[in-house]
Amino acid sequence: MLLTEEKPKIGQKYVDALRQQFGWSIQEEAWQAPDQVTVTVELNSLPSVVETLYYQHGGWLSVVAGNDERPINGHFALYYVLSVEGDEQAPENKREKCYFVVRTLIPPHQMEFPAVTPRVPAAIWYEREVRDMFGLQPIGLPDERRLVLPDDWPEGLYPLRKDSMDYRYRPEPTTEDETYEFIDVEGEGIVQVPLGPLHITSDEPGHFRLYVDGEHIVDADYRLFYVHRGMEKLAETRMTYDQVTFLADRICGICGYAHNVAYSTSIERALGIAVPERAQYIRTILLEVERLHSHLLNLGLACHFVGFDTGFMQFFRVREKSMKMAELLTGTRKTYGMNLIGGVRRDILKEERTQTLQWIKELRQEVTDLVAMLLETPYIVQRTQDIGRLESKVARDYSPVGPTLRGSGFARDIRVIHPYCAYDRVPWTLTYKDGCDVLARTLIRAEEFFESLSMVERCLDTMPEGPVLTEGFRYKPYAYALGYVEAPRGEDIHWSMLGDNQKLYRWRCRASSYNNWPPLRYMLRGNTISDAPLIVASIDPCYSCTERVTVVDVRKKKAQVVPYKELERYCRERKHSPLK
Amino acid sequence: MVLKLIREVLKVGQATLPYPFTPVELAPGFRGKPEYDPQQCIACAACTIACPPNALTMHTDLEQGVRTWSLFYGRCIFCARCEEVCPTGAIKLGHDFELASFSREDLTIRAEFRLAACNLCGAYFASAKELEHVLALLDQAGLPPEDAANRKALLRACPECRRKMDLPRVKPLVQEAFNGRV
Ligand code: SF4
Ligand code: SF4
Repeated sequence: MLLTEEKPKIGQKYVDALRQQFGWSIQEEAWQAPDQVTVTVELNSLPSVVETLYYQHGGWLSVVAGNDERPINGHFALYYVLSVEGDEQAPENKREKCYFVVRTLIPPHQMEFPAVTPRVPAAIWYEREVRDMFGLQPIGLPDERRLVLPDDWPEGLYPLRKDSMDYRYRPEPTTEDETYEFIDVEGEGIVQVPLGPLHITSDEPGHFRLYVDGEHIVDADYRLFYVHRGMEKLAETRMTYDQVTFLADRICGICGYAHNVAYSTSIERALGIAVPERAQYIRTILLEVERLHSHLLNLGLACHFVGFDTGFMQFFRVREKSMKMAELLTGTRKTYGMNLIGGVRRDILKEERTQTLQWIKELRQEVTDLVAMLLETPYIVQRTQDIGRLESKVARDYSPVGPTLRGSGFARDIRVIHPYCAYDRVPWTLTYKDGCDVLARTLIRAEEFFESLSMVERCLDTMPEGPVLTEGFRYKPYAYALGYVEAPRGEDIHWSMLGDNQKLYRWRCRASSYNNWPPLRYMLRGNTISDAPLIVASIDPCYSCTERVTVVDVRKKKAQVVPYKELERYCRERKHSPLK
Repeated sequence: MVLKLIREVLKVGQATLPYPFTPVELAPGFRGKPEYDPQQCIACAACTIACPPNALTMHTDLEQGVRTWSLFYGRCIFCARCEEVCPTGAIKLGHDFELASFSREDLTIRAEFRLAACNLCGAYFASAKELEHVLALLDQAGLPPEDAANRKALLRACPECRRKMDLPRVKPLVQEAFNGRV
């Protein structure tokens, strides 16, 4: 779209390969950036095309966006966004990496599409969500339960359809009880352990059900989205596109700025706005400052769950310095509010730079000592090694992101694969490990912390002078593009399409934890229930925690509710099982 | 290990502050509650359009000729968009962030502005202060006196009358464009 013919198109060879293989099923091709292409495919070939990209061209599923395009072209549309990274056997520098969006149109009288999940398991949540939000039926999707909509939501009301409802409408609940059907795990001696309705690590809502045989977890199921805030709908109907940056800041209390950058860059790409160099550096600095406080929080929690509470306190004490750093550089501790479409709103002044560099030095020393202390704690390795294993095969099938994925041997980090902001201009080292366990994920966060410190220093040292905001661009109706950021927990990705009224026609924002939840089930299997809180914490989940856990005993066939605090206590002390 | 830890703990001493009995130290650029000066404000509504969470609103009563500007701190996210777009510096973010209150009313501030009446038909149309502000800007622009007077006359009329005033000027142009077919 924005491209002139001469610019190199990264990913053209994948489009060509698909044309070879699928012929006329591959229709339009539109480029949003030199490394971003959207290809419309015939509806029935959708699963095969996505499968081919995923398993033959090194694709990972980033997000799926549904869109009610009836007012534009008379159809519903689905966008399967893959990060295609080339054959995994090929040498690193030979691999061409792009964002490849597979688009398909669904006629409104049909309202169904062939599910991709049976071929690519990573699509599971996305296809359930598209069914909830648009009423599009994924044919062949085994899981028929709702994902996002509450159980008491009326049938046939699809919130994201353009003609369905006002964003302020709150329908009457249709039922008094929770009707969600948890999976049935049959077998002698399996007990169900419900954990919920609040989160197992940070007191946020979610309902877990662990199926146990004695103390061993056989399987797990969970119900989340109790606090879905309808932000996409809000942004599409109430706000103008340039106000949405401030809403994006509020998607997450930890990685809000990452979302903000992902959103802003999606619009900047769609409109072809060149963001000034200096602004790119400032964004990079703030993204890394955000990682500092996030990783320190998770390291603190890791201490807490193995019963090392003094460590928890110490990590939180030093974390305060990273919060002050954010306050100094942005004017506030969280929800930085730093981005406008086109750049950033404030520059980094000389005194601020000096103070930040000073704090970085102090943090480096303090955290080095704390991490050494944590690792010297005799039980830490014993409690985390080989616990909560995410096997590489499962990771490959489910497209998890961030330290969760990098702990299972994959060197995938969006900062390297699809460099944005200034990440291709400051040298830094990527960390990954192949322990596949809680220990690996924890160590990765510790190492990344120090890397972030150095990155902030390098950016402050080398950032060019100049303006920080580009103004005076034109709004283009119906332009669309992706924006992406490697947040502390992994890739945050936004797909935005502008409307014709200074608003967004469609905004699909996907937080990193969304991709890490589905494989969690496999990480829990085979562990003891006293490790469950530790394992859940190791993906650094964002859903907002679990006060109760339902334990289902598969042998005695009985369910028992354990208060979350009790399970957490058991995880820490490992004495007096709550199941006895 | 334990010894090292104890040493560290002793070295740090007390890390928590006895807040709220001691004030917290804030960064110089900290964004706190927006402070508003109705004297400076011209009721132009730029801030109410920019405000992302609709904390700022404007209500125009064409019957009474009054425009009410209001800010509800309960919705405010301290983003400073209002400060950025305000042409007169009437609204600026301060350092205050402790807004807890028992009543919503305490969190609302309002200001009322007179509307200007059209000098032709008498209908209320724009904020009187905004009009004065624009007229003053025109004076500073250094236009030839006749030109300035014309523009001022135009500005004092409501949009409807302006259209009517324009008609005699526009009509021949349209007729020409359509080759006298109108
Ligand atoms: S600071 Fe932001 S939210 Fe508060 S009144 Fe100003 S524009 Fe609105
Ligand atoms: S932008 Fe400034 S002058 Fe205009 S209404 Fe708001 S506060 Fe008043």
